[in-house]
Amino acid sequence: MGDTVLVVGAGPAGLSAAANVTAAGYKVVMVEKEEVLGGAPILSGYARLVPSGEWAKDAIGRMVSRVEEDANCTVHKNAKVTQLDGEAGNFTATLSNGETVKAGAVVLATGFTHFDSINKPEWGFGTYEDVLTTTQMEQMVSSGKIICPSDGRVPERVAILLCVGSRDRQIGREWCSKICCTVSANLAMEIKEISPGTDVFIYYMDIRTYGLYEDKFYWKSQEEFKTKFVKARIAEVTASGDGRLLVKGEDTLVKRPIVIPFDIVVHAIGMDPNEDNPEISRIFGVGLEKHGFIERAEHYTNTCGTTRRGIYSCGAAYAPETIDDSISQGAAAGARAVADLHALVRKAG
Amino acid sequence: MATYAEMQQIYDDIRGDFRYDHELNGCLNCGICTATCPSAQFYDYSPREIVQLLWTENVEQIYDAMQEKIWACAQCMTCAARCPFKNSPGGLVAIMREVAIKHEMQSAKDVLRPFGRVMLKLITTGNQLSPDMIQPDHFPDWGPNIQKVEGDLRLLRKAIPVKTLQTVDTAWEVSLKTSVEMYTIWEMTGVLRSLELMDENLFDVIEDFIDEKREDYEDWLEEQEEDEEDDD
Ligand SMILES: Cc1cc2nc3c(=O)[nH]c(=O)nc-3n(C[C@H](O)[C@H](O)[C@H](O)COP(=O)(O)OP(=O)(O)OC[C@H]3O[C@@H](n4cnc5c(N)ncnc54)[C@H](O)[C@@H]3O)c2cc1C
Ligand code: SF4
Ligand code: SF4
Ligand code: SF4
Repeated sequence: MGDTVLVVGAGPAGLSAAANVTAAGYKVVMVEKEEVLGGAPILSGYARLVPSGEWAKDAIGRMVSRVEEDANCTVHKNAKVTQLDGEAGNFTATLSNGETVKAGAVVLATGFTHFDSINKPEWGFGTYEDVLTTTQMEQMVSSGKIICPSDGRVPERVAILLCVGSRDRQIGREWCSKICCTVSANLAMEIKEISPGTDVFIYYMDIRTYGLYEDKFYWKSQEEFKTKFVKARIAEVTASGDGRLLVKGEDTLVKRPIVIPFDIVVHAIGMDPNEDNPEISRIFGVGLEKHGFIERAEHYTNTCGTTRRGIYSCGAAYAPETIDDSISQGAAAGARAVADLHALVRKAG
Repeated sequence: MATYAEMQQIYDDIRGDFRYDHELNGCLNCGICTATCPSAQFYDYSPREIVQLLWTENVEQIYDAMQEKIWACAQCMTCAARCPFKNSPGGLVAIMREVAIKHEMQSAKDVLRPFGRVMLKLITTGNQLSPDMIQPDHFPDWGPNIQKVEGDLRLLRKAIPVKTLQTVDTAWEVSLKTSVEMYTIWEMTGVLRSLELMDENLFDVIEDFIDEKREDYEDWLEEQEEDEEDDD
């Protein structure tokens, strides 16, 4: 059906695409594999978002209700596309809930998968209770209480390790996850705000608080919240006899190895390609780029395209991406899908 | 002190090694290698520093590091297993050491001198360490376990069901044929040439020994042929 766009994935990118398609007078069928809409910020319970400072449940919540209240948008939760037949202008999708959807175009807004810190065992996740990921720390911030999971004490010192699961050839992650520097600088401020007695140290290789995030996050975190940024990548996390964590790195200024005690260690986890991507590639007949993300069509003239005509993508499905950029790309993909459909219909008529 | 041209030549030789581009991709300056390096715990040595000096082509400081620092590396390759950029700082040190030897640097001679005895033992017996070298007094760090080697060594070794291990003055018996093959390998890979550059006296002793062993082997081969002819 030439007036319907099938949007797969209801994260920031997919929600934005859907809203733009219906705004142009077309219909949307949305397919989301989880039972709630909102994508990673909702599913993982993020706290305040970068850069707006708004709580994730409020900000993304608004995007969710805009789509849920839209009469031109049909939503299938707990569902996946299991088969796609046809071609641009005339696709038929079979869903896992048994339904069939006819659509002229498809937008893949299927996002990313969080890096699983178990794959980096030397950093102690899964071995020590007080080693957490940024998503767990976001949830702790949302709960309003900063404590060590092991015994409930208030931490004196928290270390955030950047680039966990990013920029690491040893584990085949040759990309920068783009947002974790800023998210971590922000998280340090949130921790200090809730627990003024806790000092936060961030261990980094480079700080990538690009664009306007420089003063708003990197500088502010230091000047107003006394976050200490230390240039060193941590090699190992172990435990000391008294139940604290020992973080081993190089003091790159004096070129000596150092071991420092901490109460909580946070992994700033990166964004992996969606673990479903091999399946998505097979079902939708789209290519993947070398890291395993969805491959773009021609970079400048078909920015929202994939390797298959009539199928578009956006957001973290293409590469590690921020919420803001995922939303812009979702809007662009929705608009492009509608524009191409419009041209097809005009040609046929 | 070397001239700048000499230092540049040393750097060029390191850079020109066929392994160089494989061991060095660039550097994220993260310090993981130094943090995991056992030698950095004890010496004024940092693998990140070595990588940075090479990457930034700092020929003077490279030369300086070759005086002492590179000899602190234990060649354990933990750095190579951990580097997020998949460099091998330990592999670079190996190249630098070979170049130090090639240039007959005094630092190389000083560091390698005590290993002359090991080299001699290795070439004459095919072993570095033999059971009869493990004297309880020499290994206080073994604690009570040392008693295991205090018994009748000869008898204990006889209990091992592998014939070549039933010796006490070598760790295992190396056959004449294997020894002669090893000499050829050491010759062709430049090990003996390096030895000659580092310690001429030791090289002469070892060369004589090798010649003798090769003659023994030739004799043995002839004997075999004669035996065969006798059988015919
Ligand atoms: C710890 C952390 C904190 C972050 N904080 C911020 C922040 O403060 N500000 C910011 O700008 N960015 C932040 N980000 C980045 C942010 O999470 C992403 O930019 C954003 O989630 C990308 O949106 P998306 O819609 O492309 O993908 P996702 O959010 O991943 O949404 C994809 C959706 O598709 C669904 N889906 C996946 N596969 C299928 C399938 N096969 N069939 C059906 N549905 C499927 C998923 O269930 C999900 O609902 C953070 C990231 C991390 C890791
Ligand atoms: S954004 Fe920062 S923490 Fe995240 S991968 Fe890039 S450099 Fe590392
Ligand atoms: S190989 Fe050398 S530099 Fe590398 S970790 Fe071992 S001792 Fe350190
Ligand atoms: S671990 Fe690798 S990238 Fe990091 S400082 Fe050492 S050589 Fe450079």
